[in-house]
Amino acid sequence: MRALRRAIVALLTAGVIAGVLRLRGSGGVPPQGGGWRELSGSDLR
Amino acid sequence: MRIVVIGVGAVGSRAARQLHGSLSPSSDDLAVVDVHGGRMEAVAASLGPPAHAAPWSPATFDGADVAVLCHGSSGDAHRVAAEAALERGAHVVSTSDALDDVVGLLALDAEARERGLSVVVGAGFSPGLSCLLARHAAAEFSSVAEVHVAKAGTGGPACARQHHAALAGEAVDWRDGAWVRRRAGSGRELCWFPDPVGGLDCYRAALPDALLLRPAFAELCAAGSTGPDRITARMSASRRDRVTVRLPMLRRPHAEGEIGAVRVEVRGRRGAATDALVLGAIDKPAVAAGAVAAVAALWAASGRLARPGAAGLAELVAEPVSFLRELADRGVRAAVFEGDPGVASSSL
Repeated sequence: MRALRRAIVALLTAGVIAGVLRLRGSGGVPPQGGGWRELSGSDLR
Repeated sequence: MRIVVIGVGAVGSRAARQLHGSLSPSSDDLAVVDVHGGRMEAVAASLGPPAHAAPWSPATFDGADVAVLCHGSSGDAHRVAAEAALERGAHVVSTSDALDDVVGLLALDAEARERGLSVVVGAGFSPGLSCLLARHAAAEFSSVAEVHVAKAGTGGPACARQHHAALAGEAVDWRDGAWVRRRAGSGRELCWFPDPVGGLDCYRAALPDALLLRPAFAELCAAGSTGPDRITARMSASRRDRVTVRLPMLRRPHAEGEIGAVRVEVRGRRGAATDALVLGAIDKPAVAAGAVAAVAALWAASGRLARPGAAGLAELVAEPVSFLRELADRGVRAAVFEGDPGVASSSL
C-alpha cells in the first residue's frame, strides 16, 4: 500500500514538474546585436 | 474588370477597400458578398461605386475576372466556391490558412491549368506575405537548404478560431526529403519578430506554409536537386492558448486582433559560404492579408502571375520584388534583420 502511495505521489510530482516546464521553460537566446531595417528603395528594385 | 469578394469580415472588407481604390467607378465592377446582409450592405455603401452588394449564388461569378475568397473556412467552403468560380471562367484568390482548405484548393491545379486560370492559394499574411518573403530571400542564395516561417497574431474572429484549431491539429513539415507530421503545440522556439512585436514563443501548428513553399522551391532548384532539406512553420501562442487548446474557445473571439508579425528565415549557400537571411513584417494581420489578396487579384486579372494553376504566391509570383513594392505602396512594408543571423535566428 505504501509503495502504491509513493508511486502515485511520484507520478503526480512528475506531472506537475512537467506541466511547469511545458508552460514556462526557456525559449532561446535574444539577438545580441543588429536590428530590423525596413526594405525600401534599392531593396525593392 | 469585374471582381467578386466573398466574405467581408476583417480581411474581406480590407481586400475590397484595396481593390476599390484600384478600380474605375465607371468601367469596373466590385461585388461584395457576405452571409451577413447588413455587413455586406454597409461595406458596399461605405465604398461606393463600383462596389455593390450581391446575394450569394454560384451565378454571382458570372462574368467575373477574379473571385476573392475571404469567408471563414468551414469544411470545404473555399474549394466549393473556387470550383464554381473556375467553372465560370474566373481566377480565384483564397485567403484561407486552414490546412484542409489549402489541400483542397491545391487539388484544383489540373483543372485550373486546363482552363488557363489561376488559383492563388493562401494569399494572406501567413501564408501569403510569408511566401513572398521566402521567395525574395531565396533569390539571394545559390542553393536553399532551409526555410523557416513563423507568425504571430490573428485577424478577425474567423482567424482567431482557426488559430485555436491549428494548435490542436497536426503540423506538417518538410524534413530531409519527406513530409513529417508532428503534434501541434510542440517544438517551442523563441522567434524574434520585427519591433515592436519582438520575441515570442512559437510552436508547431497545423499551418499550410510548408505545403505551399515546397513546390515553389522544388521548381526553383536546379535539376537533380531535391530542394530545401527543411521547411517548417510555427506560430506564436500564449500559455492560455496552450492550456485551453483542447477545449472550445473560452471567450468569444475579438473583433480584430492587435498588431501581428511574420518572420521568414532562409538558410543556404551564397557562393562558397553558408549563410542565413531573415525577413519579416509587422502589421494588423487582417490589413496586410487584405492588401496581399487585393494585389494578388489584380495581378491575376492582368495576367501578371507566372502561370495558370493552383499554387501559393511563392510559386505564382515570378517577381516578388514588384509585388512587395506594390504592397509597400499600400502600407505593408517588409523588413530585413541586419546583424549576425546566427545569433538573431533560432535553431528551428
